[in-house]
Amino acid sequence: MSDKKIPTINFKEKAIELLPEGASFDACLTCGLCSSGCPASGIENMDPRKFIRMAMLGMNEELSTTPWVWCCTQCRRCQHVCPMNIDISQLVFIARGNWPQEAKPAGIVRSCQLIRSTDSTSAMGLPPDDFIFVVEDVLQEVRETQPAFKNLQAPMDKKGAHFFVNQNSREPMNEPDEMVPLWKIFDMVGADWTYSSKGWAAENFCMFSGDEEAWYEVIKTRVDAVNALGCKVWLNTECGHSYYTMWNAINRFGMEADFQLESLITYYARWIREGKLPVNSDWNTNNITFTVQDPCMIVRKAYGDAIAEDMRFVVKSLVGEENFIDMQPNRSANYCCGGGGGFLQAGMTEHRRTYGKRKFDQIAATGAAYVLTPCHNCHSQMEDIGHHYGGNYGVVHFWTLICLSLGILGENERTYLGPDLLALID
Amino acid sequence: MKEETRHFETELAVVGSGLAGCAASIFALNRKIKIAQVGNTGAVAYTTGYLDLLGAVEESSKAVENPWDGLELLKKSHPDHPLSHIPAQDIAEGFRQFTTFLGESGIAYTGPQETNITALTPAGTLKKTLCVPATMAAGPQAFAAQRPCVIIDFHGLKGFSAREVVANLRHKWPQLTAARVDFPDMEKGEIYPEVMARALEVAATRTRLAELLREAAGEIKTIGLPALLGMHTPDLVRSELERLTGLTIFEIPTMPPSVPGIRLREMFEQVFPQKGITLIPQQKITALSFAPDRAQLNLRDNYGPIVIHAKAVILATGRFLSGGLEAHITGITEPLLDLPVHQPPSRTDWYREQYTDRQGHLIHKAGIEIDASCRPLGKNGTPYHERLFAAGIILAHQDWIRGRSGAGIAIATAYKAVQAAEDLLHARI
Ligand SMILES: Cc1cc2nc3c(=O)[nH]c(=O)nc-3n(C[C@H](O)[C@H](O)[C@H](O)COP(=O)(O)OP(=O)(O)OC[C@H]3O[C@@H](n4cnc5c(N)ncnc54)[C@H](O)[C@@H]3O)c2cc1C
Ligand code: SF4
Ligand code: SF4
Ligand code: SF4
Repeated sequence: MSDKKIPTINFKEKAIELLPEGASFDACLTCGLCSSGCPASGIENMDPRKFIRMAMLGMNEELSTTPWVWCCTQCRRCQHVCPMNIDISQLVFIARGNWPQEAKPAGIVRSCQLIRSTDSTSAMGLPPDDFIFVVEDVLQEVRETQPAFKNLQAPMDKKGAHFFVNQNSREPMNEPDEMVPLWKIFDMVGADWTYSSKGWAAENFCMFSGDEEAWYEVIKTRVDAVNALGCKVWLNTECGHSYYTMWNAINRFGMEADFQLESLITYYARWIREGKLPVNSDWNTNNITFTVQDPCMIVRKAYGDAIAEDMRFVVKSLVGEENFIDMQPNRSANYCCGGGGGFLQAGMTEHRRTYGKRKFDQIAATGAAYVLTPCHNCHSQMEDIGHHYGGNYGVVHFWTLICLSLGILGENERTYLGPDLLALID
Repeated sequence: MKEETRHFETELAVVGSGLAGCAASIFALNRKIKIAQVGNTGAVAYTTGYLDLLGAVEESSKAVENPWDGLELLKKSHPDHPLSHIPAQDIAEGFRQFTTFLGESGIAYTGPQETNITALTPAGTLKKTLCVPATMAAGPQAFAAQRPCVIIDFHGLKGFSAREVVANLRHKWPQLTAARVDFPDMEKGEIYPEVMARALEVAATRTRLAELLREAAGEIKTIGLPALLGMHTPDLVRSELERLTGLTIFEIPTMPPSVPGIRLREMFEQVFPQKGITLIPQQKITALSFAPDRAQLNLRDNYGPIVIHAKAVILATGRFLSGGLEAHITGITEPLLDLPVHQPPSRTDWYREQYTDRQGHLIHKAGIEIDASCRPLGKNGTPYHERLFAAGIILAHQDWIRGRSGAGIAIATAYKAVQAAEDLLHARI
């Protein structure tokens, strides 16, 4: 962050413009439930109740410049517990947008720039041709080395496919083998799906940088890409915020989208119920225990508890009901892991880990050996705080465990399995 | 992209998630009624955890030792009071079912007894209440037995001061002393009880805290702590700490936002759906309308619009704080159905001149009126609709703050309203 001066905004005025009728920051009872339940409370000497009070008192300069806005992950837990339903993340969003580009955390700005640098909309700047290459390359290898999958498909730009599938850039970029379990699952259920060379990437840090225009543009590229291929369903894979940024933007900007937005979790659950994914927990002979992280971006902020129930159904089917331990609190009341809102990209490591302590305690209290989560950010953050605070749990994707249960997890697809799980496969 | 409306069909819709709404859902569950419940966090999250039935007969300042006798007095002096219309055995049964449910759901409570318990407040004063969380029960016992006891607080914790508790209580409890310790890993800055409570769900934190507690207790065998002994498994956390320290340990409520309230709320939000209730937390009904054969409730959550169809509705929307009543220049209204609100004739009559006036203020008795079967009265003095019932502090003719009867009114009237709703549901569905 540089010293470039941050303009002062009038938060009270903004709040009045912004809030729907009947919702007012004046309604705040100063009860402190928000702050009590916010993992960012205390960081930079700020908390959500204080933020609202200061806004109401016109302490605009302090609020315009506090770096705390980059530590609030915009998870909206404060709103969830607020008796007056006050959403402070909206003010944080405005405050973020108000920071001059040069002063914002460079990692978030850079990620947004990279997203806009190619038609891929990839925060790692992976261009369409490279994506196509990686997918073909990996596919080739699987066909050659895994006889059961010698006809595996990973369609690209297939017009009229039912599912338009997105992918977090981390996979094609850093761990391409992690794409394979997902392809195998699609293969098994006979899904009619495609990747797109345009707008395929999932992640979206433009929203987190507070740059509304950039956020719109990224989503526009993605919406256009889905419309162009004529797909019925934009299927969000295991990445939390990509769903929220797309879903929210389409509503917020009133965009034309001729397709449904769906989360892969819903389909995992459906395919298991329909018997298309014949998973079971028989493999878990040692009763290895699992917990699950509800990403706020798809649970609290979007679908609500319905998807959290689907997630639990999937986990229990995979590991056995008796081996599943819920974190407390959970579902819509769950804590953000502390990696969201661009925190992982913002370079504020110490603050991020302070935030993550709450998640660490939650996981530690379960005593589970593994955390399952359908979100890349959550995944990275929980691994990091695990190492930092001396936890001994692993973090796994759903697709890994599904393929493990089905006995189709390839040699190169086992990065996140600890010795206990590996021992059960061999 | 089209928004899809989600539809729910149910027998009973409960509007409100305060104590009254949650109690209504519990009673309806026990009667195997199909339920949908909607509402923001009500005052539940602010409560001390104590469930008061009757601590004072409203205008009288004398503490009520025996609430059952108190109710008899209330009946004579306040025949309009909602509790005056409910048989004592129904009130007791309501408390029993409510506390049993809490216990089965992981938060053990003492059941309703013959007399009130003399319980400790965050400030170190005493109050009368009927039921207390098991984690707090040893406090009143230690007080009654006048056992030597150390009250322990923590650096950085606001809303609870051991010194204050001791200063206010010492003349009644001479063997009381105060101590302060550092909470493990939270030595700096302001810390909320909620954060400590969650940290104590981790065994390693308990082990470290136990050592500090033992040291602080010295020779004394009983200690009182602010209410932060775990969030999800408070009884386990307390017994583990007792085991590790060899001490008798009890909790004292803190100022809001307090852990006992958050415990209840999180428990309801988790357990209700498991029991088959369609629970939509944190949202408000925006429209409620009635057809002859059913009621329709409209709302939206983050995901989109929701419509609920129900055979019966219980309105438990609270008073001003929760939005069940609204105060305007021209008077007090009930916003959802515009039910007539019993209220002082004009705004100037809302408050008496002295804020501390013993008789209380008339505005604190404002609310909606009901008939003998808990049906709110409409403009013409007859029930608004046969499918509509009401419960909780939205009801007129009670000042629950002065009467120290918050939970009592919520639980007892919910019990009665569910009974009445069941009669309707059974009579003809
Ligand atoms: C700070 C504080 C401390 C307290 N401590 C104690 C105590 O120690 N012991 C005790 O016995 N009592 C205590 N009480 C009182 C007790 O909590 C109340 O008596 C009780 O909660 C009243 O219950 P209620 O459900 O009628 O109303 P409320 O708790 O006010 O709940 C009303 C509910 O209705 C909902 N609602 C309103 N409008 C709508 C709508 N349109 N659609 C859907 N939902 C709606 C609200 O969101 C809320 O969930 C305390 C209260 C407060 C405020
Ligand atoms: S929870 Fe809501 S009402 Fe309470 S202090 Fe926070 S914003 Fe204000
Ligand atoms: S959005 Fe999340 S991180 Fe931000 S203030 Fe609210 S609870 Fe805290
Ligand atoms: S990283 Fe996960 S927990 Fe955190 S905001 Fe994103 S989805 Fe929520």
